[in-house]
Amino acid sequence: MSNNKARDWADDDDLDETTSTELPPPQTIQNKDGTKTTITYRFDEDGKKVKTTRRIRMVTHREVVNPRVAERKVLPKFGLSEKDPKGPQMDTTSVGENIIFRLSPNWKRDAKDESKDANANAMKEKLKDKTVKCRICNGEHFTARCPYKDTMAPVGAEGSADPAAGLADEEPAAASGGAGAGKKGSYVPPALRGGPGGAAAGERMGGGSKYGERDDLATLRVTNVSEMAEENELRDMFERFGRVTRVFLAKDRDTGMAKGFAFISFADRTDAVKACNKMDGYGFKHLILRVEFAKKAAT
Amino acid sequence: MRPILLSGHERALTQIKFNRDGDLLFSVAKDQHVCAWFSHNGERLGTYKGHQGAIWTVDVTPDSSMIASGSADNTIRLWEVKTGRLLKTWEFPTAVKRVEFNEEGTQLLGVTEKRMGHLGSIVVLNINPDINGEQSDEKELTIVCDESKATVAGWSYMNKYIIAGHEDGSVSQYDAKTGEQLENLPIHDLNMQLTDLQWSNDRTYFITASKDKTSKLVASRDLEVLKTYPSDTPLNSATMTPKKDFVILGGGQAAMDVTTTAARQGKFEARFYHKIFEDEIGRVRGHFGPLNTVAADPTGKSYASGGEDGYVRVHHFDKGFFDFSYEVERERQRAMQQ
Repeated sequence: MSNNKARDWADDDDLDETTSTELPPPQTIQNKDGTKTTITYRFDEDGKKVKTTRRIRMVTHREVVNPRVAERKVLPKFGLSEKDPKGPQMDTTSVGENIIFRLSPNWKRDAKDESKDANANAMKEKLKDKTVKCRICNGEHFTARCPYKDTMAPVGAEGSADPAAGLADEEPAAASGGAGAGKKGSYVPPALRGGPGGAAAGERMGGGSKYGERDDLATLRVTNVSEMAEENELRDMFERFGRVTRVFLAKDRDTGMAKGFAFISFADRTDAVKACNKMDGYGFKHLILRVEFAKKAAT
Repeated sequence: MRPILLSGHERALTQIKFNRDGDLLFSVAKDQHVCAWFSHNGERLGTYKGHQGAIWTVDVTPDSSMIASGSADNTIRLWEVKTGRLLKTWEFPTAVKRVEFNEEGTQLLGVTEKRMGHLGSIVVLNINPDINGEQSDEKELTIVCDESKATVAGWSYMNKYIIAGHEDGSVSQYDAKTGEQLENLPIHDLNMQLTDLQWSNDRTYFITASKDKTSKLVASRDLEVLKTYPSDTPLNSATMTPKKDFVILGGGQAAMDVTTTAARQGKFEARFYHKIFEDEIGRVRGHFGPLNTVAADPTGKSYASGGEDGYVRVHHFDKGFFDFSYEVERERQRAMQQ
């Protein structure tokens, strides 16, 4: 083929030398370790010479078979396989990938453990470079474990720019303590909260009654709210009693439906008391509202 | 364990059978030819051409000289194994869903479908063991299943009974000589049809597979349920491994529901259970569709499964398979040695 092809001067001389018409004869070398090396040459579709070196270890595998089986092994093929040469054919027979097949009496349990592990690992992997941050108080704990989850709206929700604002208004010491506790993510007993103001806080806790401790807080918890409720509807309803500083309606993150409870903060506590009395038992969207002063969950 | 994939069929497999020496494997599918394979390397020996419809079933004589196949073209055909020559065609009014030779290969039973006003029936044909001899047209016996059609059937030990599994989940026992029904027991859940029935080596008990997601080991003599293997998917086939006391179950979500399930969830796996302890001990994945049929090599070296995906996978067991035993089994072995 190189005869009728015009030779390019840029062609490798070496290559040219070997693209002669005849191929070197195949070689077989007997190695010391009992293997054989065969070297064969052929032309590929571009007319280039390809050298193939194969190292072969021959293992004689002796198998004793039933004479009936041996007789059948040499049967001529028929039907659609009539023209096939001896040995398995590529179009009908292939070898699948290796399957690890291990039997175990408690297979089910093993498999389950494995999947559980896999899940746990995947979760760990996902969270590796993430720090946990509470959506309510920005503390280093899960939102579900936030001490303020029942009283505070998530960060960024309407009227909750400062998560601890409610506390901070009139009792800065206690509030900062509370927020601090949230940030650390560890539980701080009520008596230790707020550092120097701890005593006051403790006293407040000691005050006990769920309304008493809320002197400063005019937040109402509204439960049994319809799924269809909207925040502005609630705001309209409660604005009749006084200025509402914030309305927080808990919604499901996936469906967007209300979860059935809301928090309403009033500017003035007396308005809140009024609203609480009037609105408790009020029918709203086929449901009877239950209104009470918000409890502090952490305590 | 490296499976050998046999892709000789273009449509879903319906049944596969090893011959008694375990060197040949016969497969039938909803396309129209029977394939014969060498089980040790997956080489195709040949195909048997002649059927005009989906082939539902195949069986081989104990001496591996002839195979019979039953098809949706309403025929049972008898073939010479070595050459692929058609020896005989029996015609029936409806499709043939199951064929099985008796222990000597002198009689063949066929299960015919209930359709077009015809009741399902089990017919018995006499087979002339001489390969070049004349095969008789006569039906030796016809058992009509007037209550619920039979889906599977087979010969018990000594050809004493014909055991049939029905569409309504029951198993019945017939006298193989007279065709009289001796017993009919609701072995599986009502209206959960039996999909497979395979025999133990001595045919004193058999394993059933059913759409009710269980497989049962049943005695031939009195149809007593010996063992139950529950699974989590409708089963299409069940077999017992010789040498080791295991059973292999194959099944999966029905083909029409497959598009709605992922391969992982479809449970297209062969399940291994311990025959005696009834525990699930392992699974083999690989098929892309439900397993329609599983068969164990009578020599115990391998097993094969055929799926809705059109592939037959032949698995030769590793050493680990043969070494596996329960703690109690090992203890007993030690006790025996002392």
